[in-house]
Amino acid sequence: MLKLVGAALILFAGTMIGFVQAARFAQRPRQIRQLIHALQRLETEIGYGQTPLPDALARIASALTAPVSSLFAETSARLASGSGETVRDCWERAVRAGWPATSMREPERDTLLRLGETLGGSGASDQLKHLKLAAHQLQAEEQAAREDQRRYEKLCRSLGVLTAALVVILMM
Amino acid sequence: MPLSLLELFPASLRDRLERLPETLLLSLEEIRVREERPLEIGYGGGASFVGPDGSICTDSASAYRPSREDCRALLERVTNHSLYAVEEELRRGYVTVPGGHRIGLAGRTVLEGGHVRHLRDVSSFNIRIARARKGCAATLLPELLDPVARTVRHTLIVSAPQQGKTTLLRDLARSISAGEWHHPQASRWGGRKVGIVDERSEIAACDRGIPAFDLGPRTDVLDACPKAEGLMMLVRSMSPEVVVADEIGRPEDAYALREALHAGVRVVATAHAIDLRDVFARPVLAELAADGMFGAYVLLSRSGGIVRHRVVGAEEAEAEARKSAGCRSVPVIRSPNEGGARHA
Repeated sequence: MLKLVGAALILFAGTMIGFVQAARFAQRPRQIRQLIHALQRLETEIGYGQTPLPDALARIASALTAPVSSLFAETSARLASGSGETVRDCWERAVRAGWPATSMREPERDTLLRLGETLGGSGASDQLKHLKLAAHQLQAEEQAAREDQRRYEKLCRSLGVLTAALVVILMM
Repeated sequence: MPLSLLELFPASLRDRLERLPETLLLSLEEIRVREERPLEIGYGGGASFVGPDGSICTDSASAYRPSREDCRALLERVTNHSLYAVEEELRRGYVTVPGGHRIGLAGRTVLEGGHVRHLRDVSSFNIRIARARKGCAATLLPELLDPVARTVRHTLIVSAPQQGKTTLLRDLARSISAGEWHHPQASRWGGRKVGIVDERSEIAACDRGIPAFDLGPRTDVLDACPKAEGLMMLVRSMSPEVVVADEIGRPEDAYALREALHAGVRVVATAHAIDLRDVFARPVLAELAADGMFGAYVLLSRSGGIVRHRVVGAEEAEAEARKSAGCRSVPVIRSPNEGGARHA
C-alpha cells in the first residue's frame, strides 16, 4: 500500500517537473514578445511624446504583466527615488534583480543591458536607433525561442512522465 | 538652498555642498560645476571655491575638482535622465529643473548648416538658484501705477544679469494679480487678470502646468512657450489685462508686444541691459521706445544683498539716455501718453 502511494507521488512529481520545464519553454517567446512590445512603446514615448524616462518606464510597466513589468517598474522607481544613480546603474540592477523571475535567457538579458547603457543619454533620433536595434535582436531571439519551444515543450512533458514511470518501475 | 535642488547632485558633489555653512546655503545664488576644474559657488554678491571637505577656500588650487563621472551623472539628473526630451533647450544652452532653477550648460556644439544643432560633451554647469521673494515689488509697484486706467503702466525692467530681474518680475505679477498695489489711492482697485509667457519656465517654474511659485489668484501661465507666439496666444485666448514676459529683445517680440498694446493689454517685461543707453542701443528696444511702447523704465542695481530700483518715466528716459551717451546720438523716445514726436 505504502509503495503504491510512493509510486503515485513520484509519478505526480515527475509529471509536474516536466510540465514546469515545458512551461518555461512556452513562456520564453511570450515574454520576449512582451519586451519587444514594451520597447516599441518606449519608442513612441521618446519619439512623439518626449516623455521623461522615469514616467515613460512607469507607464510601460503599468501596461505589462509580471514578471516582465517589474523590470521597468523597478528602474522607474529607482530613477524617481532621487538617489543620484545613473540610468545605466538603475537599469542594470533592475534587470539583474528581476531576471530570475522570468523565463528568459542570457542573450535577451545582454541585449537589454546593452540598451541600458545608452537609454536616455542621447537625442531622440539616436535613442530610436538604439531601441530599434534592441528590438531587432530580441526578434531574432524570439525566433530561436519559438524553435526551442516547438522542439522541447512536448519533449519535456513526456520526459517528465516517462522518467517518473521508469523510477517507479525500477522501484517495484 | 531648497532640498530638492540638492537631490540633483550626484553623491560626491552633494556631500560637499551639504557641508557648507548654513548661512551661506541660505544666500547661495549659483553653483558652478566644471569638469576637472575647481567647484565654485556664488552667494550674496561674492564667490568662492569649495574644498574637498566642503569648506570654503579662496585658493582655486586647493578646491575640489568634479570628475567626469560627476558631470555625467549631473547632466543625467538635470535632464531628468531624458536628454532626448530637452534637445531644444540644449540647443539654447540651458535647461530649467523643477523649482524654476535654471541651469546653463556649456560644452562642445554640433553644427548643422552653420547653426547649433546639439550640445555634446557638456562640461560646464551654472546652476542658478531661483527664490521667491514675496513683497520685493512692494516699494516699486506704487511708482508704476496708472491712476486713470486703474492699472499698471507699460513697464520695462532693465538690468545687468544677476540683479534680480526675474525675482522682481515674479513678485510684480503676484502683486498685480492679487491687487496688492501698496498705494492708498489704489486700495479699492482689486487684482488684475495677469497672463505670463514663461519661455524658460523661470518665472512660474511650472511642474506639469501648475506654477510652483505663488503668482497670485488671477494669473494664467503659458509655460515653455516662445514669447512672441505666447503673447499673441494669451491675448487671443485668455483676455489678460496685464501680460508679463521675461527678457524681450528679438524682432518678433516687438511685433507681439505692439499687438498686445493695441489690444489694450498692459505689458510688463524685462530686458538685459546695463543702463538706458544700452537699452536704446538695441534696435528692437529702441524701436519700441520710439513708438512710445513703454510708460516707465525700471533700472535695477544691486550692492551686497540689497536690490535698489529707480523708475524713469518715458518722458525723462531720453534725457537720461543722452546724458550717459555723451555726444553720441540717442534715438527718439516717446511716452505712450503723448501724440507728437520729439527729436533728439
